[in-house]
Amino acid sequence: MKKIVFIGGKGGVGKTTCSSAFAVYCAKAGKKTLLVSTDPAHSTSDIFERTIGLEIVNIRENLDAIEIDAEFESTKYINKIKGNLKNIVSPVIVEEITRQLDAAIVSPGSHESAMFDKMTEIINEKVDEYDQIIFDTAPTGHTIRLLSLPEMLGTWIDSLMAKRRKAVKLFKMANSQDPNKLDDDPILKILMRRKNNMEKARNIMIDDQKLQFIFVLNAEKLPIEETKKAVNILKKYNIPVNELIVNRILPEDMKDDFWKNKKGLERKYLNEISEAFSNQKIIRLPLLQNDMRAQYIDEVAEYFKDIY
Amino acid sequence: MPNDKLEKFLEWMRLFFQGATDFGRKSRNILEKEYSDEMDNFMLICFADTLGIPLPISYYTLELLPYLAEDMEMWEKRMLNRKSIWGEKWGEYDLDA
Repeated sequence: MKKIVFIGGKGGVGKTTCSSAFAVYCAKAGKKTLLVSTDPAHSTSDIFERTIGLEIVNIRENLDAIEIDAEFESTKYINKIKGNLKNIVSPVIVEEITRQLDAAIVSPGSHESAMFDKMTEIINEKVDEYDQIIFDTAPTGHTIRLLSLPEMLGTWIDSLMAKRRKAVKLFKMANSQDPNKLDDDPILKILMRRKNNMEKARNIMIDDQKLQFIFVLNAEKLPIEETKKAVNILKKYNIPVNELIVNRILPEDMKDDFWKNKKGLERKYLNEISEAFSNQKIIRLPLLQNDMRAQYIDEVAEYFKDIY
Repeated sequence: MPNDKLEKFLEWMRLFFQGATDFGRKSRNILEKEYSDEMDNFMLICFADTLGIPLPISYYTLELLPYLAEDMEMWEKRMLNRKSIWGEKWGEYDLDA
């Protein structure tokens, strides 16, 4: 098992349940585990029946958890900029720019960027501290977009830096300063820091191969198709998918006709899953008769014992 | 080899005297003009979204705002007033020199 695990899958298949159970399993196996929820609904708190919140907290022996909130992170970021603004520019301009910043908080891309930022930060800072970091991710599409972001942003930042370097050089030449001394430019410093953070996370995830995905699916048509697509896309990034979790499998002894039919259909899909994903280990979780609560989580965690 | 060095040295001398005798002339202005053009372009790829062009990295460039804020208002005006590229380019040519 790689150090960083992203649990992905179509919406509603039981990603949060599986991530929580898997995290409990890892913790019990003696690994120092961090469970990161990126779902805005934050059901992790509900499963463990306790508040988890925006900072890392310890919830069991060997198990820490955090619920990332994109809105909180973007507000924190904007407030830091506002504070910085006051130290640098005149009050009239502060007012003008503050309006622009407030508009930016609610603009569509900013939550995604804030989420990406926080995930990068956790990966960079916590990778040495924990044995296992488990991300309960948003539905498939988002997560895969997240992986392509560093490349896209990387080129953008490179061209910004090249432009700024050129500009600072010209400015220094015009003012009889040494045009080769660019280190003290605050804009270049900020861009450089961003680039480094992104590259570091990328190196950990892709070059050092510390990342793997586990997909959760149900024995139904649409989740199977979506998982096939996702596995193929990840192959392009060289990110392994070694395990799949098939969640909510019906019990064997079905009595009435409706459920008998349902079970027959499920068997067909289970066969399809074994054929389509012959390279992956398949973990089967039964449909539970109770709601997923703290008291049942250890029970579900047992199903992961084949993983290690 | 020594020829190369001599050539370089002569070139530097030429540039030095050209610069040193450029009394109150345009070289500094040209550099400054080029600097501000370059910064206009830089700000365009940072904050084009304020002009209505969506940018995938607009969230990340926000933290540059404190350092660029002073010029923000004028920059927006310049960008919105770009009616004629010809007029703008014409202004760059130094017809008296």
